[in-house]
Amino acid sequence: MITRVTNWLDERIGWRNVWEAIFLRKIPKVNWFYTLGSATLFTAINQAVTGILLTIYYAPTPDHAYDSVQYITTQIPMGWLIRGLHHWGASAMVVLTVLHMLRVILLGAYKYPREVTWFSGVFLLLVVVGFGFTGYLLPWDQKAYWGSTVGTRIAGSAPLIGDWILRVMRGGAELSAVTLARFFGVHVWVLPASLILLLAIHMYLVIKIGISATPGREEKA
Amino acid sequence: MNEKRTIDRRGFLGFMTWAIGGIISAGFGIPAIAYIIGPAARKEEEQNWIRLGSVSKVELGTPTLFKTEIERQTGWITNKEELSFYVFTENGRDFVALSNICTHLGCRVRWIADQGQFFCPCHNAAFAKNGEVISGPPPRPLDQYPVKEEDGQLFVLGGG
Amino acid sequence: MNEKDQKAYLEQYKKDKEKGVPFYPDILFKDAVVSLLVFLGLVALAYFIGAPLEERANPSDTSYTPKPEWYFLFLFQLLKYFPGELEVVAVVLIPTVAILLLFLLPFLDRSPRRHFLDRPWITALVIGSVAGILFLSVQSVRETPPPSEAGQGDPVAALYTENCAACHGGTISIPEGTNLHDVIAQGTHEGMPAWSGDLTSDEIDALAGFILSPGGNALFQEFCSACHVSSELVASDPIELKAALDEGRDYPPHAESQIPKWDEVITPQKRTALLNFLVAPDGQRLFATNCAQCHGRSVSYSGGEEELRDLISQGGLHLEMPPWRETLDAHQLDVLAQYISDPASAEGGDVLFGQFCSSCHGDRIPKIENVDQAREKIASGGAHETMPVWGDVLTSEQLDALVSYTLEAAQGAPLEVGQELFAQNCAICHGDFGEGGTNPARPDDVIAPISSAEYLKTRDDDTLFQIISQGQPNFGMSPFGSAFGGPLDDDQVKTLVAFIRSWEANPPVELPPAVDTRAVKLSADEIYAQLCTQCHGYDGLGLIGPSLRDPDFRANNTAQDIFETITQGHEATPMIRWGDLLSEDTILDLTDYILSLEISAASAQPQPTPGFSSFAEDVLPIFEAKCVPCHGSMGGWDAASYDAVMTTGDNAPTVIPNDVRNSILAQKITGEQTYGNIMPPAGKMTNAEIQLILDWIAAGAPDN
Repeated sequence: MITRVTNWLDERIGWRNVWEAIFLRKIPKVNWFYTLGSATLFTAINQAVTGILLTIYYAPTPDHAYDSVQYITTQIPMGWLIRGLHHWGASAMVVLTVLHMLRVILLGAYKYPREVTWFSGVFLLLVVVGFGFTGYLLPWDQKAYWGSTVGTRIAGSAPLIGDWILRVMRGGAELSAVTLARFFGVHVWVLPASLILLLAIHMYLVIKIGISATPGREEKA
Repeated sequence: MNEKRTIDRRGFLGFMTWAIGGIISAGFGIPAIAYIIGPAARKEEEQNWIRLGSVSKVELGTPTLFKTEIERQTGWITNKEELSFYVFTENGRDFVALSNICTHLGCRVRWIADQGQFFCPCHNAAFAKNGEVISGPPPRPLDQYPVKEEDGQLFVLGGG
Repeated sequence: MNEKDQKAYLEQYKKDKEKGVPFYPDILFKDAVVSLLVFLGLVALAYFIGAPLEERANPSDTSYTPKPEWYFLFLFQLLKYFPGELEVVAVVLIPTVAILLLFLLPFLDRSPRRHFLDRPWITALVIGSVAGILFLSVQSVRETPPPSEAGQGDPVAALYTENCAACHGGTISIPEGTNLHDVIAQGTHEGMPAWSGDLTSDEIDALAGFILSPGGNALFQEFCSACHVSSELVASDPIELKAALDEGRDYPPHAESQIPKWDEVITPQKRTALLNFLVAPDGQRLFATNCAQCHGRSVSYSGGEEELRDLISQGGLHLEMPPWRETLDAHQLDVLAQYISDPASAEGGDVLFGQFCSSCHGDRIPKIENVDQAREKIASGGAHETMPVWGDVLTSEQLDALVSYTLEAAQGAPLEVGQELFAQNCAICHGDFGEGGTNPARPDDVIAPISSAEYLKTRDDDTLFQIISQGQPNFGMSPFGSAFGGPLDDDQVKTLVAFIRSWEANPPVELPPAVDTRAVKLSADEIYAQLCTQCHGYDGLGLIGPSLRDPDFRANNTAQDIFETITQGHEATPMIRWGDLLSEDTILDLTDYILSLEISAASAQPQPTPGFSSFAEDVLPIFEAKCVPCHGSMGGWDAASYDAVMTTGDNAPTVIPNDVRNSILAQKITGEQTYGNIMPPAGKMTNAEIQLILDWIAAGAPDN
């Protein structure tokens, strides 16, 4: 029965080709350090799932942000878990991204023919940092408010265009309701869209070119 | 033999991979369902007996306006709602509590003592002392609430 | 890496791949295991530590030590090593270079070697960077002091945090000349609520002071809060505050306390900040608390800004105090003198002061050395300083605010103008607060409140504008807009709308007035007073409508004509078809009433109109109560006696017997005179009082 269904589907959408191309392809034997990339991907999925769940109750206005976060944490069943996963997932994502990158650097995996994969990876790092920066403000507690005040002020101390950058980031001179709304917008729309696009490129290239083999020592001539 | 063992190992790994995937999915899915249906599954707030004030404030035969405030919690927002009731009694024992909200469009009605009727200024509706419509557009009598007396205090069952 | 190397790599990779394993399940299993471990780790962290949530954001709590997320700490720490001008290095240069290096890595490291031990430079650089970042992060954690609890005890800051900070952030910049107290109390149309519902006036004052002078609040906490609560001192008498700050322990109420000499401890700048906090440079409040008790609520001033500034800052003034020995007996003088030199000691002094002094001195008791001097001064009167030298008292910010407010108010701040327009045109039917009442045009009808929340919520400004300018003829409301023949131009109607709208924040009424809705029979003169006066005048001499006492009018109109005009009205004028509203009998009565008004020029023998009988008994007492406090001693028109009323004044005669229209007195009290404000400045007299005075003038202003 199941075979019939899968065959029926394969005839129409050709999933078997995709399955074979992605999952049954042969790749060099690699060690456990090579799981860092997929672990990072897992944290990204974790952030997406828990993030979507959080938006169900979160309200991005100064009046309600703090109360709604508190409501999620204390009133909603499992709310503490969802928020906890998102909070710690963010840190884990940064850690794993950096570790993954160190692995790539130390084993020379950014070299020919994987330069473009590397570029997309660096962009992904910037997106992850952006997530951390914008997400920090959203709970609207003391830490969030003052951390973001200082963060935006640091960005604003750049020469010439600093003040302008600051105003763009805050949506005005002060850290206000406008800032919260735009940080939220960037955090749930702009950055996820960029993340998905960059991840798609990154993954496509990884599958297309194949994961790099563990390099051996150069034979001394 | 060797070949067979490899296949078995691969099969086992494959099974384990799916199993782990299942565990993680359940780890997300089950809390997510609880999380989403949480507020819906919460029991509706019950109606409460709201204290209006001393029985002695009610004049015999004249509806007396009582104002009271209740707190209503929705999500993380607590609203204060002002409720007003007209309470009247003919004998000092049996009380009737009427809403002061006109059943037509929700304006506040007020008691016009001289005419012995409630009057709604919005569309000149008139209600009798017991809340029946005398004239004007309202579709039904003024809402009545259960009322009780305890230790000289009046309580109305409402809110929720 | 040259082509040969690239080819060699690809071939080597192909071999590796062939020797390798399928992605599923061999590799994917490893990935799944790691993912599961990560997941379990996260769940454990969420369970055992949880996601922290600190106190709600408090923008005014400047004592909070900001800390970014841990993975930004190294950048944060880096800033400390590049102070001032060099900040650019840490903020822009280092991050930009780091990111560029990352991007360019494949181009910088082009050798075919891949193992980290074969690339010592890169490896060293990476290890160095990671070590550096770790070091900076650790340093940052070690150097950041634990969050302190300071700033908790400041009630005004707490008030700010609780109510303002969420929308406005830590500070608010206020445009010059804003009446901050008003803005806070009434809210704005941009979604700011009216705080007067939740905060006391004192709290609003404290908030205004805090917003305008946050430094002053900090100083208050430092120097005054040990003995004073801020809300007890805000908006109090600036003279006292200034004296307390300048005189230290010499300031009588401070004599007992162990305080330092403030003028030595606190710098002048800080004292200014402190005063600006306690008495916010908010012109309207300053005026209301310091000027209005002598100058009335609405101020009229026609000079320039510089002149006004000088006038206020020099104070002193120009007033002649009467020699009170002519009015008061010796005992009264003693009590008053005693009271002035020591307000606590003289029993009954406050009553006398309230009776004789407060209309010029307000609540402010003049300063004087001793009882003898006080008695001498009161008894002999004479040139006398009643107005404080504000220039010595107010900070320059406060002075600026006061000057600009006074100028603005003199031109008529829209709301105040609106209030006056309402009082003149609307209050007669809608009540002073829009509470409504019996409808004079339809005696069996009630005018519902127009100031209730319900009413205002359901009508937008356009609707109100149309109602006012077009009237509601079927309810007996004439058009008021000049486009429809009414007395008000569009701007005035808009001002009225704005005034009515200003109730929405705090509706003065909720329920319609308790009115007997059964048919009320109004007499013809009552109907005339309520419906006709707004166009034809109290006296029937005409305003925007024709004079009903004009000989020509009367010659050309028979009783029948008048009856028909009332019944059918005039197209496109405020003269609506009253026949639709009033019964025939009523109109007949009204016609008779109009015909009973005497013809003005032909009135050889003035007869006192009903309601007025004697100048000494009816009119003079009104003058004494409402006018004499100012128009008795300050020069100009003097209302103290019949002769003075008839002869004094810069534009004498103020009263022209038999001619209400041209008597300045009548014009001033009805508000018809638009040069300067309606009199008395503290608010219009009652209609009955006005009518009495008008009747007296119409009757030839007899001295009886």
